[in-house]
Amino acid sequence: MKAPMVRSQRQKYRARAWRIPPVDGKDLALEKTKPLSVTRRTVLTAAVAGSAGFASAALASSPPPNDDAVDLVKKLTGKTPTTSDRLHLVMPHVFPNGYTVPLTLVIDSPMTDSDHVRHVSVLAPRNPLVEVATFHFVPQRSEPRVSTRIRLAEPQYVLAVAEMNDGTLLMTETWVEVATNGCK
Amino acid sequence: MFTPAPRVQLPSAAASGEVFSVKSLISHPMETGLRHDGQGKVIPRKIVNKFTCRHNGVVVFSVDLHEAMAANPFIEFYLRATQSGRFEFVWEEDGGGSYMLQHDLTVA
Repeated sequence: MKAPMVRSQRQKYRARAWRIPPVDGKDLALEKTKPLSVTRRTVLTAAVAGSAGFASAALASSPPPNDDAVDLVKKLTGKTPTTSDRLHLVMPHVFPNGYTVPLTLVIDSPMTDSDHVRHVSVLAPRNPLVEVATFHFVPQRSEPRVSTRIRLAEPQYVLAVAEMNDGTLLMTETWVEVATNGCK
Repeated sequence: MFTPAPRVQLPSAAASGEVFSVKSLISHPMETGLRHDGQGKVIPRKIVNKFTCRHNGVVVFSVDLHEAMAANPFIEFYLRATQSGRFEFVWEEDGGGSYMLQHDLTVA
């Protein structure tokens, strides 16, 4: 299953990644790793600023976070993932070389027969070949927690997509900046 | 000719229900198939594409590896001790080669 990324999609990723240069020594990319969502503060601000109608309009029109990542996963799997904080993808924000970037993946799951993780895929959308690895777990036998080392071609958001036992897809992403290309 | 050397590290004894870590490593160049040699010819892909851990013949953990795994793939994972028995670790390579290690675990 090697769905090649369409050109416009690659450019979209490129544009998004480079749109966040460090400002005043503060790395905005780090703040971008958390998906944007409607918080209590934004709702209150909207409510104070305008009418209740304005607030509900803000709620309805807020786009789902990380559109292009969702599109990519939809293209690869045919299902729509939901961003979840049950997945923890831990990677260094900056790493000097792209050949061996450490990765740790932990998923909060009791791993019982009725509630477990089937498998987790790691994707690097701006690598020449997007797929990195898929880890398969067995309920009551293996814990949904792995560490490994991967190659990254350029600075990018690395995605982790978990398929749960009921078929739902959970997703998380984290920004990783590498100084050298690990894919050549 | 380079011969990949697989290694694993896990305890030999564990309490029932205990979660223990397994560290696995195989020295392997993981040639991605994206590189070219001095004559401009593509160096064919040769990677470890599958890693499987079996316990008494039952698969308890497996990984599909793609080109973006680093050379000398290291994988650390966590298993729950349920019963004594033999673990079998198998790395499968492009072209049909495979490498295997065994390890016995006693569950008290």
